[in-house]
Amino acid sequence: MSTVTRAGVGRGEAAAGWLFTLPVIIILGLFLLVPVVMALWVSFSDWTGRGSPFSADVGLVGAENYEAVTTGGGLAERDFGLAMRNNAWYAVLVIPLQTALSLFLAVLVNRAVLRGRGFFRTAFYFPSVTSSVAITVLWLFLFSSSGAVNRILSWIGVAGPNWFNDPTGVVHAALRGIGVDRGPEVLTENSFLSVSWWEWLAGPSFAMSAFILMAIFTTSGTFMLLFLAGLQNLGQDVDEAAVMDGAGIWQRFWHVTLPQLKPVLFTVLTLGLIGCWQVFDQIYTGTQGGPGKTTLTPAYLSYQSAFISQEWGQGAAIAFILFLIIVAMTLLQRWILRDRPISGRRRMLPADQDSLSAQPKGGRG
Amino acid sequence: MRQPQTAPRFPTARRTRCALRGGVILGATALALTACGSGFDDGPAAGDDAGDFTSGADPLTVLIGSSGDSETAAVEDAVAAWSEESGLEASVQIANDLTQQLSQGFASGDPADLFYLSTDAIAGYAANGSLQPYGDHLENRDDFYPSLVENFTVEDQFHCAPKDFSTLALIINDTLWSDAGLTDDDVPATWEELAGVAEQLTTEDQVGLTFSPEYQRLGVFMAQAGGALVEDGAAVADSAENVEALEYVQEQLDAGSFAFSSDIGAGWGGEAFGTEDAAMVIEGNWITGALANDFPDLDYTVAELPGGPAGPGTLQFTNCWGMAADSPNQEAALDLVEHLTSTEQQLEFSERFGPMPSVESAAAQWSEENPELTAFLDGAEYAQFPPHQAGAADVIADLNSQLEDLDSADAESLLDSVQANLEPITE
Amino acid sequence: MTAVALRHRGRPAWGQIGLYGVLCVLALVYIYPFLVQLATSFKTDPDAAAQPVSLVPQAFTWQAYERLFLHSDFPVWFMNSAVVTLLVTLGRVFFCSLAGYALARLRFRGRAVIFAALVAVMSVPAVVLLIPKFLVINSLGIYDSYAGMVLPLLVDAAGVFIMKNFFESIPRSVEEQARIDGAGIFRTFWSVVLPMARPALITIVILSFQGSWNELSHFIVATQSPELTTLTKGVASLASGQLSQGSEYPIKLAAAVIMTIPVAVMFFIFQRRIMNSTEGAVKE
Repeated sequence: MSTVTRAGVGRGEAAAGWLFTLPVIIILGLFLLVPVVMALWVSFSDWTGRGSPFSADVGLVGAENYEAVTTGGGLAERDFGLAMRNNAWYAVLVIPLQTALSLFLAVLVNRAVLRGRGFFRTAFYFPSVTSSVAITVLWLFLFSSSGAVNRILSWIGVAGPNWFNDPTGVVHAALRGIGVDRGPEVLTENSFLSVSWWEWLAGPSFAMSAFILMAIFTTSGTFMLLFLAGLQNLGQDVDEAAVMDGAGIWQRFWHVTLPQLKPVLFTVLTLGLIGCWQVFDQIYTGTQGGPGKTTLTPAYLSYQSAFISQEWGQGAAIAFILFLIIVAMTLLQRWILRDRPISGRRRMLPADQDSLSAQPKGGRG
Repeated sequence: MRQPQTAPRFPTARRTRCALRGGVILGATALALTACGSGFDDGPAAGDDAGDFTSGADPLTVLIGSSGDSETAAVEDAVAAWSEESGLEASVQIANDLTQQLSQGFASGDPADLFYLSTDAIAGYAANGSLQPYGDHLENRDDFYPSLVENFTVEDQFHCAPKDFSTLALIINDTLWSDAGLTDDDVPATWEELAGVAEQLTTEDQVGLTFSPEYQRLGVFMAQAGGALVEDGAAVADSAENVEALEYVQEQLDAGSFAFSSDIGAGWGGEAFGTEDAAMVIEGNWITGALANDFPDLDYTVAELPGGPAGPGTLQFTNCWGMAADSPNQEAALDLVEHLTSTEQQLEFSERFGPMPSVESAAAQWSEENPELTAFLDGAEYAQFPPHQAGAADVIADLNSQLEDLDSADAESLLDSVQANLEPITE
Repeated sequence: MTAVALRHRGRPAWGQIGLYGVLCVLALVYIYPFLVQLATSFKTDPDAAAQPVSLVPQAFTWQAYERLFLHSDFPVWFMNSAVVTLLVTLGRVFFCSLAGYALARLRFRGRAVIFAALVAVMSVPAVVLLIPKFLVINSLGIYDSYAGMVLPLLVDAAGVFIMKNFFESIPRSVEEQARIDGAGIFRTFWSVVLPMARPALITIVILSFQGSWNELSHFIVATQSPELTTLTKGVASLASGQLSQGSEYPIKLAAAVIMTIPVAVMFFIFQRRIMNSTEGAVKE
């Protein structure tokens, strides 16, 4: 790399460098950094929404707000517990399903070497670009009690639930189906975050299930594109070599393709995880946490505590707990995925990975 | 899903809780911010001395949660009439989400001057100084029903004028009623009779009785059983009477003659009633406006709710015209409130969208003009108010979330949890 | 076509038929909801309730659109969304490329710190910022104004990143020639480097257009006046039954259709670009 060395240009560069980045620094500082600091303050204060949060009358209350939502034993704790339960089920179902589906779509589209590939990519990706509000409105219609989904289910003889109005957890519903109405005492008597274990195990309500389907519908396209890019970067030689080995399609996919997609897989899982804990727009537009608080999420609860119940401190505390959860999960995932040993078969492959991934893209349609 | 914003929007629980803060801004970051002009202006101090009203030429903003076009138009007309008379500009804003917009308005220091305020929100806003109490300065102060005034009295201060009130009654679809072979004499007076006619009215296409799964409807059964959530300031949610009430409802839900409106695909009871998915509904005055609007051909009768083990019982709801402590023109706002709560104006509101006037001087004329609706007014004699302690809205919201699952819940433990939630806020 | 691709071609036909069968069914699942949405917006309310799956309105009607455009604030919402989207897109293109260029090319003390800070900032999830953003916007006195709606969105850390990466991929020789010819730094950036960055700029345009048009939570906390309601906020309130009693799905779906059109147009114009810059597509 060559450099322009004249001192004058150097000084000019320094000035220009700061000048060029100044708008970004100011705006991000003002609307990202300062807010975080302010909210951190609010989360430790008893500010209740009138006057300045920094006024002399506002007192520091230590961890009181954090305690109220995690160990307070009152409504605040229960609401937080329910929100955590709902979102945990949401994440547990959405992340694997959206990852699997998007990978599946990518593999299918990647194989479709003939015409139509562009069409399918477009079709699968389109839901990702539309606004969450518009999709939620559509979903409310499709999943209304006499809506399209239930109509289609009725064609195959299934009486669909009243999706957005049914607070029953799907696990509970299934258990009820086999005659189990009440949980064992061990589960009903013990609780975490003021929510009994029996309730933790209720599964997502039908309302939440509709949102889960919606999340999968809207994100699989984006992730499909990521996997598609990853697949196209794969060395064809590896595939070839595996074919020579006589490996079946499934084996080849599992032992050759998938390990090479690990970086993409990591990206998809991380993005999915981060997205899954930020469920807000759908809830605000669609259910406001109902029915039976089964679509309450920490993100919406944080908003609701502050802007509706005027418990600003608790709202900010929930936001920070949420932040920590997201960071912790991401780190955890990074750790799990990074330390997994590479499969034996892979190591026997003739070429090393770096040279493979540097290969030109294979047959794009 | 949210209920349509019927006039007494407060039945669908909303929440509030706050305490007053104001003063000087501290902290380096904040100092930097104030350089650009702070939005956290500490407005006029909330009225310790209620005589201190601001005045000026600022136009007034009135924020309402409207039940629909008829209510919006009626309020707009009334405000416009006042505007013309007083020469002051005033505009009506329709809230998408009244509670959120109020909270955000108060926090930003720039709230609407006047707004609908529910009984369960007042304590919270009063505590943090968002409200300007003005009740005792009203010219027509003594005309308001004392029970309504009590709902808007916080720490012995009458804060705001009740704008109107409503009670719950039993609305019956005349056609379906006579189709089932029922006559006027069959209007139920007891729980047994109610269960009986509901069963008779239940067919493949319709349920006998519907209501939304919330305390603001089911509470009538608690009242009829002799229960309540809060009595004389003490939490009594776990009483045997309340258990009896919920178990009665559970029984009928089980039998299929009662159904929650949400379970039959409707946003609220009025909708299920209008589409004839239900032959009877427990609703308030606002249903008349909604039915006239959406289902003008429906014939119906308004009857008092049946009595339970402890006699008759219903719930009543009211909203007041809240005034912001931060309003720059409170004198004019007070004048506007007097105009909006005057006897003639309230009668007109009543005619256009259904609620009952909050002043005694309008009662006689109202009954005369609405002979078919007198059941609503009769109910007021024994009606209960929902609890209005600070934090009650959250408790009721939680109760409602549990009521949605009533058919599979245990009434006793459900009420125990309500009791546990109520105790901290009633102490 | 590579050898493998050819091999696929040579496979038994039923394999390809099966593959396309599965793809078609899936595509139908993905597209059908949007067709239903479009069709329902032209139905009457009872028709929408009675025939939720049908794509053909029993009686074709513009009623829902008339109601939206003639008897509601919908036009105002639309205009607000358009204005905000335009300003945000212009701002992001300019500021992101400016900063991206500085971070990629200019040598100055503090560059590493700024870069590290950007990375840190990118990891803050947006919903965590709801409450604090309101506090700051309010403190600045720009609550409930266009400034409050636009300013916080004007810069996007991910956009700076994309631009930085792109500028790093341009050979330095071009701009050095310009500098030797006596052009200033800004001049070099503006008339020599920026025009070369068209592909990256398009990515930024797509991202900011889509991002600000679809933004909801920021507008909830930044405004309260009906005059400043955007499409997302307005339609969200519609969904909870503001304009209408009961369901009235045709109106809501018509609103959703109109709201989808600009992004859809954008999508189809830049389709190739969007599909190829998956990097960009991710940051939604």
